[in-house]
Amino acid sequence: MISFEAVVERALTGPICSEQDFELQVFVPNLRRVVDKYAIKYDPENPVPADDELADRVWAAAMEFLIDTGVYCTDTERIIRFTNNEIEQALKGGPCGVVFGEGKDAKAMPRRLPEDKTPPWCSVGAGGSPVSSEWNLLNLVKAYAENSLGDSITTPSLTNVDGQTIVAGSPLGIEGAIRTVILAREGLRRAGRPGMPIVNGVATGVRSQEHIAGHRFGIGKTDALEIGTIHEMKVDFDSLNKVAYSLAAGNLIFAENGVILGGLSGGPAGTAVVTAAYNPVDLLILRGAVQHPFPTHFDIGTTSTRDTIWARSLANQAVTRNSPVPVVNIGYAGAGPMTKMIFYEFAAWVIGAVVSGGSIEVGGSARGIVVDHTSPVEPLFASEVAHAVAGMSRGEANGIVVALLEKYESQLRNPPTGQRYQECFDISTGTPSKEFIELYRQVRQEMTEQFGLKLQHASLYL
Amino acid sequence: MSNESTYEQLSAAIVAGDQDRLLATIEDALGEGISPSDIIEKGMHPGMKEIGEKFARYEVYLPEMMMAAVAWEGAMKILEPKLLAAGTERKKIGRVVIGAAKGDIHSIGKNMVGAVLKMDGFEVFDLGIDVAASAFVAKAEEVSADIIAVSALMSTTMPQQKNIIEHLEARGIRNKYYVLVGGAATTQEWADSINADGYGRTAGDAASLALKVISEKKKGASK
Repeated sequence: MISFEAVVERALTGPICSEQDFELQVFVPNLRRVVDKYAIKYDPENPVPADDELADRVWAAAMEFLIDTGVYCTDTERIIRFTNNEIEQALKGGPCGVVFGEGKDAKAMPRRLPEDKTPPWCSVGAGGSPVSSEWNLLNLVKAYAENSLGDSITTPSLTNVDGQTIVAGSPLGIEGAIRTVILAREGLRRAGRPGMPIVNGVATGVRSQEHIAGHRFGIGKTDALEIGTIHEMKVDFDSLNKVAYSLAAGNLIFAENGVILGGLSGGPAGTAVVTAAYNPVDLLILRGAVQHPFPTHFDIGTTSTRDTIWARSLANQAVTRNSPVPVVNIGYAGAGPMTKMIFYEFAAWVIGAVVSGGSIEVGGSARGIVVDHTSPVEPLFASEVAHAVAGMSRGEANGIVVALLEKYESQLRNPPTGQRYQECFDISTGTPSKEFIELYRQVRQEMTEQFGLKLQHASLYL
Repeated sequence: MSNESTYEQLSAAIVAGDQDRLLATIEDALGEGISPSDIIEKGMHPGMKEIGEKFARYEVYLPEMMMAAVAWEGAMKILEPKLLAAGTERKKIGRVVIGAAKGDIHSIGKNMVGAVLKMDGFEVFDLGIDVAASAFVAKAEEVSADIIAVSALMSTTMPQQKNIIEHLEARGIRNKYYVLVGGAATTQEWADSINADGYGRTAGDAASLALKVISEKKKGASK
């Protein structure tokens, strides 16, 4: 694979292009051309497609699109280009069996294929959802780690440091990142899983200096830092700086791509192609051990819409059939804790992702924006669902996802945000309220009775 | 060719976001004696309306909106001097200074709002991403803006929206501008807490809000 230094050189010396020209003269026409050429069409009746030939066409379209388009560096206003040979060489030497975590909590990241029986990796967390207190953060992380199906954790985002609102790029951002990592480590220790890998410990931090500060206070070589591209097919010096630091520090990287359905990628077909095209970018530029995608609806703000589930499922199939870089999907629900809808939303996208070859990270609730509207119960449930559908056919999964969509689709525009963590949990003991446990029990039962899912008991709550 | 047919072609070129075709059709239309004002109001404007409606129905997305807006702006460079010469200058509904808050590098949502506002007839000054509070204020003063629209995707960049309001207050010009906030991290409660003048969850919401506050202004409200 070409070196990271070569990538940086291309960012500094590649073809000059204005950002608007890159978007409208390069990205959009190239994407439209490959979507037409490879006849990729959205099928709302089948949010979990089961067509290997279609998946391979998406991959071919994605590679052609990537070679023709490149990746834009916003700081230099230049395009980083890769040849077909460079992409193929990178994929040939891609990550395989990378071990995350330490000691008894160490585990190799699986490469899964569509309909694979291999259990998916389950990363447990809040998708960076905001929390108002360190106590909430500590309790949440401890509970994530108590999920026996959880393989790694990600942290929520602290909103303040000692009452002062955290501002990105300020010293409060540095302190917030440091505290988050320290609290996450402590939460893992309290759960008896000190070696459980943290794959995003600085959700509070946006800037590279915040990543670096957080890393210095407890991110190890078998943990990951999460580094993202910019919408769409763009990077900047700050993201490249995070990579440079991570390579020097030796930690692993979760390479994140949140393609906006309705943004520059257009509709579901373009979103599937761009999501797949990011896979080699995550390897070549972000040096990721994992691709961490979350195609998100521009208007609804979640990953649980019918079209984003289709795009994600199809992109997963395209990638996992053709690339060794494992996919750990992250997702966001519109509803919040203590609602049935959030369980349905998580189940729907998780099922589509897992039967399409992916692993999961669950996840952001209440669109990941409402303070304290997050809990460890939904990630627990999602882990149980993910394990239950490993090996299921895409056809069967499609039927379940369609039925789940019918339960919540009409509410997506105005979803119930539910209750705050401190309302549905006893924060002194870190346990859910009786009502919450009963709701969780009901939804589990529904999954079994309506869909035949055999959910493992990963919970301390039942 | 009938005027109606020309208007349809102008509209279709806008919907297709095809600036070259639009400019060629405008040249033909002017040659046929159609007034710049009719070219805009009877040809191009219906196209903008149609693409806005398609966007609301998820039939087209950001690229189509941006390309239509670019085509429109290219056409206006030709038509505005002619309107000015004829004394029939097209009045903008209002002026909006828009950008992503300091520290925020996310542009898609902000671009969507900008495109929708342009289609609704606003003059939009896009400052881009990672924009300092003082830059919003300076641009608003420079162009005599009506609205300052600020997007923030991250919970840690939301405070910069509040910072802009504080900069306006510090300069004693808070009441000159409507400050509208949006972006994935924001909520109505947040907007209320920082005394913003409005919150838009989606691009469509933002445009409706902008039209509403401009309407209030024209009715003699304080801003």
